[in-house]
Amino acid sequence: MKVGRRKGRLRLRLEPVEVQLLHSLFAQLEAVLDGPDGDGAEAIRGRLVPDGYRDDPKAADEFRRLTADTLRAERDERLDACRAELAESGEVDITDPEAARRWIQVLNDLRLAFGTRLGVTEDDRPYVDPDDPDAELRAIYHWLSAVQDSVVSELMG
Amino acid sequence: MPSTATPETAEEIEAGTVSDPDRPWITVVWNDPINLMSYVTHVFMTVFGYPKPKAEKLMLDVHHRGRAVVSSGTRERMELDVHTLHGYGLWATLEQQT
Repeated sequence: MKVGRRKGRLRLRLEPVEVQLLHSLFAQLEAVLDGPDGDGAEAIRGRLVPDGYRDDPKAADEFRRLTADTLRAERDERLDACRAELAESGEVDITDPEAARRWIQVLNDLRLAFGTRLGVTEDDRPYVDPDDPDAELRAIYHWLSAVQDSVVSELMG
Repeated sequence: MPSTATPETAEEIEAGTVSDPDRPWITVVWNDPINLMSYVTHVFMTVFGYPKPKAEKLMLDVHHRGRAVVSSGTRERMELDVHTLHGYGLWATLEQQT
């Protein structure tokens, strides 16, 4: 994936294989959001909707009751919008701040899901041991991080 | 946050049991191993309109001290800030200032 400005437009340009990968990741994220517990799905959903109060479980429950549905609806909306924008073309215009926002949020939702599943720690380096049973997941996670970092760097100038 | 290998220890905060209506509420962002430093800085700039140096300082406070206070005000306003930050995937909570 390349991120770049041309003629005043900020665009993501993806290779066909990256388009396919992202569509598959979107579907996986949706399955985790919708799906049953198990295979780490609760941990991922918990990370996407964390407690709003640290030392007050009652207030945290109430806050979750008030915000979880909205967060969920926003995640669904941006997944759908990004999926439609990605289509088959592999080129997405993110000049509009709303478009940029939903793309970095979707990329981050994916990073949180993969990072949680992999149990990423502060010391993880973008290196993948080919013998690691999670090698493929780790490679995807690091790719998402690189894409996210490029987009954010362009946005911050 | 990834990018350096500094181990972090979150400070313990004391939970206030007595509610004083005059004490303001604060939004706290906690360090986590997934969100990128550049992303967190960008979120602080976008959500709060902070200039880049202030956003970077707050991000580094989160990274090195384990937490940073990113906004303060009424309880309702802080709930809105926490909700917005959760939408960005940041680990944010609100509490009444001690």
